[in-house]
Amino acid sequence: MRTIGTLAALAVALPPVAATGQSMTPMRGEVRSFTDAFAVRVFPGNPYDQRIRVEVHVYDQDFQPIDARITPSVFLLAGQASRPVLVVVPFDGASERKVRICTESIPFPSEQTQIRAQICGKFFGHRRS
Amino acid sequence: MKSFRAATAASLLAACAGQTASAATGNVLFNGTITATCTITINSNGTMTVSANLQSLSSHNAGGSAGSAQVDTTGGVTLSVDPVTSTTVPASDTTATTWTPTFATSGAQTIAETGTATALTVPGTSTVAVNLDGTKSGSNRFSAGNYQATVTLRCE
Repeated sequence: MRTIGTLAALAVALPPVAATGQSMTPMRGEVRSFTDAFAVRVFPGNPYDQRIRVEVHVYDQDFQPIDARITPSVFLLAGQASRPVLVVVPFDGASERKVRICTESIPFPSEQTQIRAQICGKFFGHRRS
Repeated sequence: MKSFRAATAASLLAACAGQTASAATGNVLFNGTITATCTITINSNGTMTVSANLQSLSSHNAGGSAGSAQVDTTGGVTLSVDPVTSTTVPASDTTATTWTPTFATSGAQTIAETGTATALTVPGTSTVAVNLDGTKSGSNRFSAGNYQATVTLRCE
C-alpha cells in the first residue's frame, strides 16, 4: 500500500498536460524512484468524433513486451476525450530502465487494409537507493 | 489671512512640482516548454487489388488505393511502419506472401515513399499515404477470397 502511494506520488511528479486531440501525452519523461518500480501517468486522447477502443502497451527498447501494470490497459474512449492511464514498470533488478509506452487503436476495423495508429512515448526510469 | 493661506499652499505646490514619483520597474519572465507531441488521425484505410499475373496484391495496383492518415506534431518525433504480422488470407492460399508496408508524407513535411523510420522535424500537419504490397514468388499465386492485413503506423 505504501509502495503504491509512493508510486502514485511519483507519477504525479511528471508534468502531464491532458489536452483533447493528443493521442498520448506526455511523450517523453524521466522518473526517479526509491522503490523497485517506477510509475508514469499518460493521457491517451481520441482525436476522432467517434468512440474508439484504445489499448496501452509497454515495450522495451527492442519493442519486446514488458510485464508492466497498466491501469486500465484496454478501454473505450469517447470522441474528443482523453483519460489518465497509470503505468507501473518494474526495474527487474536494474538500476535504470528505458521503456516505450504505446497507445494503440484501430479506428476503422473490418476493412481490407487496416491501419493501426500507434503513438509511443519514451520514458527513462532511474532507481535511487 | 486668507491670502496668506493661499500663498502658503501655492508655495508648497510649487515645491512639489519638481519632484518625480518614486517608482520601481522589474521584469516578469515567462518560460514555456513544449515537449514532443504527435497525433495520428486515420482518414481512411487502403484497398489492395491483384495484378494481372496474380503475384502482386497491392494498393499500388490499378484500382487500389493507399490508406490515408493525418499527423499533427510539434516535430522532434519519428514516423515509421512496422512489418506486417497480422494478416488474414483465404484457406485456399497456402503459399508464403511477402508483405511490404511503406509510407509517404506531404504537407508540413514531405517524405518520399519509404519503409524506413524517418524523423518528422517540421511542426505542423502532414498527410501520410500508407501503402501495402503483397508479393508471391516463383509459381505461387494469390487465390480468390478475402485478404486482410493490418499496418501499424507509429509516431514516437
